[in-house]
Amino acid sequence: MYIVIAGGGRLGSLLAKKLKEDKHNVCLIDKSLKVCQKLAEEIKDALVINGDASDPEVLKQGKTEKADVVVGATPADEDNIIICHLAKEMFKVRRTVARINNPKHLAFYKYMGVDAPIDSTSIIARIVEEEASFSDVMNLLSIKKGRLSIVRVDIPQESPIINKKVKEIKLPPNSVLISIIRETEIIIPRGDTEVLADDEVIAATLIDNEKDLINSLIGKI
Amino acid sequence: MKYIVIIGCGKTGRNLALEFATSHNVVVIDRNKTALDSLGEDFNGKKVLGDALDTQVLENAGIKEADALVIVTGNDNLNIVIGKVAKKMYKVKKVALQVYELAKKKIFSEEGLIIVNRTYLLVEVFKKCIL
Repeated sequence: MYIVIAGGGRLGSLLAKKLKEDKHNVCLIDKSLKVCQKLAEEIKDALVINGDASDPEVLKQGKTEKADVVVGATPADEDNIIICHLAKEMFKVRRTVARINNPKHLAFYKYMGVDAPIDSTSIIARIVEEEASFSDVMNLLSIKKGRLSIVRVDIPQESPIINKKVKEIKLPPNSVLISIIRETEIIIPRGDTEVLADDEVIAATLIDNEKDLINSLIGKI
Repeated sequence: MKYIVIIGCGKTGRNLALEFATSHNVVVIDRNKTALDSLGEDFNGKKVLGDALDTQVLENAGIKEADALVIVTGNDNLNIVIGKVAKKMYKVKKVALQVYELAKKKIFSEEGLIIVNRTYLLVEVFKKCIL
């Protein structure tokens, strides 16, 4: 793939390196000459352009019309939005991704048609919240824009499902047990698999049923 | 009597606000308190301190009821993004904004979005003076 990244800060440069490692072609655009010189040294055979990526001429220099993806990674939300908007409208780029610097600006990204605005602040806040809590439940992954979640649950001694077989556990609708981790062993649960104390259960559920699922596994909340 | 929202209280925004306020309802938004204070004690419009790239701030300024919106923050991209969203999302009847880059005037001009560019205006004025 050919990916144009606007903004050569920590996110832009790290992303460019990762994409180069995966053998993608990368173009990096940054306003600062100093930053560009450093990037050109650090990232071999990536195209580095010193200029304002919200200027269509600069995007043209970066061969944006050939790009599969354009990434807005500058520290200014208005710049990211304009860059993605130009990429779509003028250069017919199929997918635009941007880092949201201030979560309050999300509505503007959506209204201006950015395909994937990534709200890093909210993502990190959620992870920190989970890591900081004493709960035995951890949300591992949210997919389908947060409608489906995969959770890890530590099964405590007092859980109602201890020593019960999987087929005897009453799960809420649209929920499934994916795996049971016991010490170092990974068990694919079958109907007659028994759940023991201190097992870790990995389960998938629709987000609306997450509380019910956790209730049925550890019996609280 | 019209309801006019002005975003950006620099030289242009301030002078527009003071002039409009004599005969219209005016709200001025700026993220800098000193800029808003420069309107003076006699200014009879409303002042909103905040970031105009936040729909909550725009709504506090009454954008839903506005007859006209003037965007003069001094940042081209910011002016364009707010202008386009105001027109699309809040259906403001008249939206006028300033851009410094002449190329952007051509790209982003669309129906109902008036883009004012200083170079373009000066060229037109000089042409009229000379020819």
